[in-house]
Amino acid sequence: MQVFVEGVGMTKVERHYEKGLSHLAAEAAFKALDEAGGPGGVDYIVVANALATLQDEQLDLGGYLATSLGLRGVRALTIEAGEASGLAAAQVAASLIESGMADKVLLVGVEKITEFPSSKAYRHLQMIYDSESRSYYNVGFAADAAMLMRLYMETYGVDRELLSYWPALMHNNAKENPYAMLNFAIKPDRVSKALVIAEPLTLLDTFPLGDGAAAIVLSSKDSSSKPMAKITAIESATGLGSIELSDDPLIIDSVAEAYKRLSSLTGVDRFDFIELHDSFTITALLILESIGVAPKGKAAEMVAQGSFSPTGPGPVANPSGGLKARGHPIGATGVYQLAEASLQVAGKFPGVQVRGAKRGLVISMNGLGSNSFVALVEGV
Amino acid sequence: MSMELSIPRFWRFKHSIYRLQAARCRSCGRVHYPPKNACPYCGSRDLEPIELPKRGKLVSYTTVYAVPEGSRQYSPIYVGLIDLGLAKVVAELTDIVDPSQLRKGVEMEAVLRKARVDRDAGLIYYVLKFRPAMGVPDVQA
Repeated sequence: MQVFVEGVGMTKVERHYEKGLSHLAAEAAFKALDEAGGPGGVDYIVVANALATLQDEQLDLGGYLATSLGLRGVRALTIEAGEASGLAAAQVAASLIESGMADKVLLVGVEKITEFPSSKAYRHLQMIYDSESRSYYNVGFAADAAMLMRLYMETYGVDRELLSYWPALMHNNAKENPYAMLNFAIKPDRVSKALVIAEPLTLLDTFPLGDGAAAIVLSSKDSSSKPMAKITAIESATGLGSIELSDDPLIIDSVAEAYKRLSSLTGVDRFDFIELHDSFTITALLILESIGVAPKGKAAEMVAQGSFSPTGPGPVANPSGGLKARGHPIGATGVYQLAEASLQVAGKFPGVQVRGAKRGLVISMNGLGSNSFVALVEGV
Repeated sequence: MSMELSIPRFWRFKHSIYRLQAARCRSCGRVHYPPKNACPYCGSRDLEPIELPKRGKLVSYTTVYAVPEGSRQYSPIYVGLIDLGLAKVVAELTDIVDPSQLRKGVEMEAVLRKARVDRDAGLIYYVLKFRPAMGVPDVQA
């Protein structure tokens, strides 16, 4: 696969009470389009979103956004895969280009999650899990991750405090990122003392509720003029996505499978950095272990030792600050990750820039892995 | 009047919610809950219904403080991963007098409890929750 990144745009992840879905999308999309030399030649708009039906009472978001962005007439698709919507939409956008159906695609990830009080967002986010086993309970969005975290700590004999180095690393990375919602440093010892969300998981083990939009103009080789990066593979896999169905919930089967597909396709297994889906501290650690950059049960220790820090041996994990500190506007997150990875390999990321970054891996998933996506982003 | 809870959807779940009706795969022998259309392990469509035991052992658990809308009156909400032998289930836990009772390996049993209430429509979802074993479950295996 050879799909080129012509321009990117992002809004800061924030509680944007004064801006709606289309306003946020426009901020990101106009920046990406302007960087790519204008909207001329755009064949498709592919929109990634998860909650517009609930938060914004909107169907056919792609269609309405196209006209709202001044692109009336272009073809439009809206893609939903829960928290993985962003990379799922990127996979569709890239395949439109690969198949020759489009030369230029505007990929937009956008999400509003603050239109209602947090408790309603928690009910919406519970839909990330299988409704046939969760919808009649009041488990919220964090119970499964909390049980998994306890399982990890007990199985491997890992102390809670050791897990706290992940959020601290994320906050540290986010400090310089102008698009990050939580751009301030924290010390690891604050994590366990923070407000408890679902014991043993605290507010600092998970993402803040914030709105945002990210956009990328993708093009084929022939129509590409001055690309900043290229996407050379996007793979995915479905999985059990469930702690009760899995024999070993401490491996995320869909992440492992998607990554295996990507590396056998490309022959690449070394990266300068990874932008991964740390919806919770525990999901970050399990992803690192599921793709084999950390042995089972060792990710927390390696994080604490600085293995994935900007100055460590690498790969650098989430130079953006990740879902934890950049923020996690659910369906838009994968597009943020791709935009950040593109800026990294172009040497233009306005936060923690990984020195000499040529190759980045992006990992996104829904829930605990019902659907996982991985993408390889390389410099041009 | 607004209606938050669906009657038909809940009605369709009744066997899996109240009897803990699971599915056993005739091809690979594995049991999963709640029943899917094909075996999540081997893909076979040759499934038969099987009821899970109403007692099991706690594998993991949590106390949820960030409770979703409509459940504030039950806050905090205890949730557990319970190994019923044939299969594992995730369920709300109840009758937790002392949270330190919750430990890996503790014996749990199913009891009938209220989970969600739709005040406007007057609907109540009753479900099976699990409590630390006191003798006999509310529902017989």
